[in-house]
Amino acid sequence: MKSAVGHSVPVALYLGLILVPVLLALDRLIFVTGSNPIEAMFQLDEHPLAIEAVRFTFLQATYSAILTLVIGFPIAWWLGRYEWKHIGLIRAALTLPFVTPTVVAAMGFLALINEGGILASIGIDLRNETGIIGSFSSFLGIEHSGQIIALLLAHAWFNLALVIRFVEPKIATLPPRYEEAFRMLPVGTSPLERLLRFWWPMLRTPILSAFVFTFIFSFTSFALVRWLAPEFWTIESLMAIEGGAAGIPGYREDVSLLVLGGATLQGIVLLAALGLAGRWQQKQSYEIELVSEHHARKNIGKPGLLQRFGILSSCLFALAPLFLMVLSSVRIRDRTSDSYRWSTEAWSYAFDGNLTYASVPDALTNSLVYAIGCLLVSCILGFFVAQTIHSLEEKNKPKLARLIDLLSMLPLALSGVMVGLGVLLGILKVWPAMFSWYALPIIPHAMLTTPFVVRILLPAMREIDSDYEEAGKILGYDGGQRFFRIKIPLLKPHLVVAAALSMAFSLGEFGASWILLRSGAWGTLPVLVDQLMSRPKYFQLVEPIAMATATVLMCITFLLFVIAERFRSHQGGGF
Amino acid sequence: MSLVLDQLNVRFDENQVIQDLHLELASDEIIAILGPSGCGKTTLLRAIAGLQTHDSGTIQLNGQHIEQQPCEMRGIGMLFQRPVLFPFKDVLGNILFAYKRKKDRNMTEVNTIIEEMGLKGKESQSIETLSGGEAQRVVLIRALLTNPRLMLLDEPLSALDVDLRRKIALEIRSILKSRGIPAIHVTHDPAEAEIIGDRVVHWNELQPGDDDEE
Repeated sequence: MKSAVGHSVPVALYLGLILVPVLLALDRLIFVTGSNPIEAMFQLDEHPLAIEAVRFTFLQATYSAILTLVIGFPIAWWLGRYEWKHIGLIRAALTLPFVTPTVVAAMGFLALINEGGILASIGIDLRNETGIIGSFSSFLGIEHSGQIIALLLAHAWFNLALVIRFVEPKIATLPPRYEEAFRMLPVGTSPLERLLRFWWPMLRTPILSAFVFTFIFSFTSFALVRWLAPEFWTIESLMAIEGGAAGIPGYREDVSLLVLGGATLQGIVLLAALGLAGRWQQKQSYEIELVSEHHARKNIGKPGLLQRFGILSSCLFALAPLFLMVLSSVRIRDRTSDSYRWSTEAWSYAFDGNLTYASVPDALTNSLVYAIGCLLVSCILGFFVAQTIHSLEEKNKPKLARLIDLLSMLPLALSGVMVGLGVLLGILKVWPAMFSWYALPIIPHAMLTTPFVVRILLPAMREIDSDYEEAGKILGYDGGQRFFRIKIPLLKPHLVVAAALSMAFSLGEFGASWILLRSGAWGTLPVLVDQLMSRPKYFQLVEPIAMATATVLMCITFLLFVIAERFRSHQGGGF
Repeated sequence: MSLVLDQLNVRFDENQVIQDLHLELASDEIIAILGPSGCGKTTLLRAIAGLQTHDSGTIQLNGQHIEQQPCEMRGIGMLFQRPVLFPFKDVLGNILFAYKRKKDRNMTEVNTIIEEMGLKGKESQSIETLSGGEAQRVVLIRALLTNPRLMLLDEPLSALDVDLRRKIALEIRSILKSRGIPAIHVTHDPAEAEIIGDRVVHWNELQPGDDDEE
C-alpha cells in the first residue's frame, strides 16, 4: 500500500504537470472557438497566413531533412570507414551545433550571412540577395530565396550531428567480414549493387531515423525561422507571434482557431513521426554482432585527400558560425564610414544593460534560477517516474509500466511554443495572478525536460544488477539506507548527465520562454538576445551586444555539455 | 543448535524447489551441502537469508523464529557466487559498508582483519584492480565485520582456479572457526566441500525425491 502511494504520487504529479496546462488550454480554446481540435485543424484557413505557414512548414522541414542527409551522410561514411587521428575532437566539433541553443545558432548564422560577413565577401549575399543569389532567385522565380537557403543551411548545420550520431557508429562497428562476404557474391561485385543491396538495408534504420528527427526539429524550429527567414511563417512561428491574442472570447477567433488547429496538426505530425521512428527501430532490433570500431576502421585504413578535405570542411562548417558570432561581438561597424573596428565596447554595454530592461548578469541570474529550478523539478519527478516504471517492470506488470512509459514521453510531441501557449492559455488565463510569479518559466521548462530525464535514468536503472540491492539487505541496510547509500551512488553518473542536460536545455530554451517572458522584466539570456536583435539598429552596438550575450549563453551551455559528456563517456549509457 | 529449519517449503514460480526440508546446524558448525547445479541449493540459502520468500515451514536462528523477519533484520552474512562490490567505492570504502553509521566503525578491527586476509596496502585500490580471489576476500571481510550470527556461502569460490580455490577455502574455514561463526556452504565441488565443511551433506539426503539434475 505504502509503495503504491509512493509510486502513484510522483506519476500523478508528473502527469498533472504535463496534462493540466494542456487540458486547460484545450478547454479554453474549444470554448472560445466552438470547435473541437480536429475541426479547428480543418478551419485553419480562417487565418489569412495559416495555409501558407502550413505549406512552408512542411516544405522547409522536408528540404532541411534532405539537405542534412546529403551533407551528413558522406561525413558519417568517411568518419565511420577510415582511421582518423583525433576522432574524439572531430566528433566533438561536429556535435557542437546540435547542443547549441537555437538563438545562438541564429546569431551564428546571422554573423555568417550578414553584410560584411564571410559569405557576402565571397559574393554569396543571402541577406540582400544581390549577385549570384539575386540571379538564382530571379531564375527560380522565388522571392527571398536567400532567406530560404540560409534557413535550410542552418537546419542542416544544427542537425548534422543527428546524422553522424545515428549513422556513423553503425558503419564503424559493423564487422568487415559482412561486406567481404557480400563482395564475393555475384550481386556484390559493383559498388552500386553493394550500396543498394548491402549498405542500404544495413543503414536504412539509422538514416531514416536521422531524417525523421531532423524533420521534427526543423518542423518546430522557431528562433532560426524568426531570425533567418523573417519573410516566412511556419506554424510554430505564427502560433508564437499571434498566440497572445488567443483564448479571449469574442476577440480574434481566427487566432484561437489557429492555435487550436495548428497545435493539433503539429501534435499529430510529431506523434506520427516519433511513432514511425520507434517502429523502424523496433523492426530492426535483430542483433548483429558488432566489433570494436577500431577494428573495423583499421580494415579500411587511412583516409585519402578527398576524405580529409571533406572532414576538414565539415568541421569548419560546424565551427564557423560560432566563431564568427564571437568575432561579431568585438567587430563594430561604423555606419558613417562603412568600415569596421575592433572593440570590447559591446561587452561593456551587455554587462551594464544600458539598452534593455536586463543586463547580461541579470538575464544570466534569471536563466540560472530557472535552470536550477527546472533541474530540481525534472530530476526529482523524472527519477521517481523512472523508478515507478522500473519497479512495475520488476513486479511483472509490463502493461502498466508501458502505459506510464508512453505517457512520460508525451511532451516529446509538444514543441516549445505549444508548451508556452499551454501555460499561457491554460494556467494564466485561469489564474492570472500567476503572471507575476517569478518562477513561472520553470513549469514549461520542466515539462519539456522531464521526459529526457526519464529516458536517461530508466535504462540506467534497468542496468543496475539486483545483486547490489541484495548485498545491501544482507549487510542489514533498510530501504532508505539502500536508496541513499547504494542506489543513488550507482546512478550518480546518470543523474549528473540528466542534471546537466536539464540545465543546458532550460538555459537555451527559447519558444516557451519567449511566449511567457518577452514582455516581462525577467528575461532569460535567449529572450535578451531576441529583445536586442528586435531593436532598431540605428545604434551601431546593438547587434554586437546581442552577439556578446549569445556568446555568454553559448559558453555556459557548452560547459554543461562538457560535464555531461565526460560522465557519459566514462560510465556509458544514457540518452 | 544455532539453526533449525523445519518443514521448509519454497516455490519458485510454479515449481516446488524445496519440499519439507529439515536441517539442523550446531553452534560453531560449518556444513557443506553438495549438489549439482540447479538443484535448489542457492534457493535454500536465499530463503534462509530472507531474499526469497518461503511458502511454509519455520526457520529458527539461535532459538528465535526469523522466518517473518525481513532480510536486513536477520543478522546473517552471505557470500554470493560473484563478489558484489560497489563500484563507486575503493577497497576500504567497500569494507566500511559493514558499518551502517560512521560512529560504529572499529578501525582497529578493520585493520587487523585486512592484514589477516592479506589485503594490507590495497585499501585505497579501485575494486576493478582486484583479482577474483581478492574481491571475494573483501566481501568476506565486509561480511565478517557485521558480526553475523550465521554465514551463508553460495559457491563463492566457483569462479577461481583450483589452487586458489583450495587456498581461499582453507582461509574461509580458518577465519570462521576462529570467530565461532556457524556457516552453510553450498557447492558442487566435493573437494571444496571436504575442505570447508565439518560435515558434508548431499542434497539428496535433504530432498530425497530429487533427481540429480533438474
